[in-house]
Amino acid sequence: MPASVYIKTSSANFQTMKIFVLVIAVILGSFYLMSSVLIPVIISFTLYALFEPATLYLVRHNINHSVSILIVLLLLVIFGFIATAFAFPQLLDQVGLLQAKLPQILSQLEVFLTRYSSALSAKIGIDLDNSKIIISLLSQFSSLGQSLLLNISDKLLGFAIISLLVPFLTYYLLKDYKSVRNRLMNWLPNSSFELGWLIYHRVARQLQSYTRGVMIQSAVMASICIAGFTLIGMDIAVLLGCITGILNLLPYVGPIISMVLTLLVTSAMTPFDPSLLYLGVLVIMSAQIVDNVIVIPAVIAHAVNLHPVQVVLGIIIFGSVFGTLGVILAIPAIATAKIVYNNLYTDILNAHRKTP
Amino acid sequence: MSNSFWSNIFKKQNNEIQSIANLWQSTPLFNKIPARHIEFLSAKMHVRHFRPDEVIFRQGDQGAGAILVMQGSVRVMANKTELALLEAGDFFGEIALAERDIRTADAFSLGNSTLVYFLKQDLEEWIELEPRLGARFLMNLSSTLAQRLFQVNQLIADQ
Repeated sequence: MPASVYIKTSSANFQTMKIFVLVIAVILGSFYLMSSVLIPVIISFTLYALFEPATLYLVRHNINHSVSILIVLLLLVIFGFIATAFAFPQLLDQVGLLQAKLPQILSQLEVFLTRYSSALSAKIGIDLDNSKIIISLLSQFSSLGQSLLLNISDKLLGFAIISLLVPFLTYYLLKDYKSVRNRLMNWLPNSSFELGWLIYHRVARQLQSYTRGVMIQSAVMASICIAGFTLIGMDIAVLLGCITGILNLLPYVGPIISMVLTLLVTSAMTPFDPSLLYLGVLVIMSAQIVDNVIVIPAVIAHAVNLHPVQVVLGIIIFGSVFGTLGVILAIPAIATAKIVYNNLYTDILNAHRKTP
Repeated sequence: MSNSFWSNIFKKQNNEIQSIANLWQSTPLFNKIPARHIEFLSAKMHVRHFRPDEVIFRQGDQGAGAILVMQGSVRVMANKTELALLEAGDFFGEIALAERDIRTADAFSLGNSTLVYFLKQDLEEWIELEPRLGARFLMNLSSTLAQRLFQVNQLIADQ
């Protein structure tokens, strides 16, 4: 590479990095300012991404825009009520059942640890104390339970705020988001106007297809797992199916966690049936095959173009910094950052090439 | 009557929308597109003001859409050669509506000028709402691009 080209490339990289860091700082700052309403805002944007096509469909059929939004939201509320009325009591029962089974699950875990740790100890020559591991696990479970009980009133208040805010925010996002977005984008200087729109367009398109894709993917995974677990006669089929669907939001890591969870729950069933272990894993693997062969190519392929290492590292880093929310937002955040950086770099490099 | 808090500050005036719509209506891009749809689209377009000699775009920049000269004039240049001098009612950069476009020339504002950006994103959103008219618009766009290509071919043949 000639020296002048190298200097221009590295100078463009440095300048891009400066602007990129500034953009990230502004985003993190606004996230910090909105921290109290961040969850309802994220849920509302997710619902916006999911239901905007339905609203546009109605508008295309000559229904007034506001009426279309109301129809879509009304259907959503009715569906929410039906789901709550039918699935919630069953889910609560299954949570109770899972709580009752926790001691059995832990004792199964102890049996598992005892069996394998003695073999491992003999191989590596270190004495592993199972009782300490179990006590540490138990204390973590009990402190989690205590904090949940102590914060229950806060959680209920938070849930009430979310229930009120989300439909309100979603309505106004569906109604006014595009016009407010246009007006905000008009604040860009002339020199960055087109680039700003291009970056916005690419990010929005990718986030929308990713959001729609993972929601469909989770729903399909949950449905297959609920049906499969019910068929093989598992105790908490609906709860476990829902958890598997939600965990599927995390690529690579989610399916492994859900498989371990299924194994633990199955091993705690009375009477213990070893064939259920294999059948449980078979259900999850069948769901994964359907997911990888049909759902991913049809709905999420090319939604985010990230390397598996970037995904796993991103989930770990975002999870350790921002907790559960960070784990869920890791992939869209990295995909967005990648688009912003690449587009800024292309533009700045072009400007550098034009200068003598 | 305004319907949102921000409207009072930012909303485009009706006469401005009408002027934009009138200018677009006389271009081949909006041939056989009903006036009310052009007005609907014009309300979504972005008006930008440029100072004398201000760069509109540079060769190699990524383009986001077509640009209409509403007031003033624009000089389009490539390799220090003037390619075109555009006046009010002229439009340029329409390839960006069809494909991810790298601008092939430099464009500068000559005096104070007002330009209207018709972004690909707005076109796509409109096509989702009005697929039939969208198809008509895309036909107009392709014939405009074909005409431009024909003109360039003629120019090369003459040289």
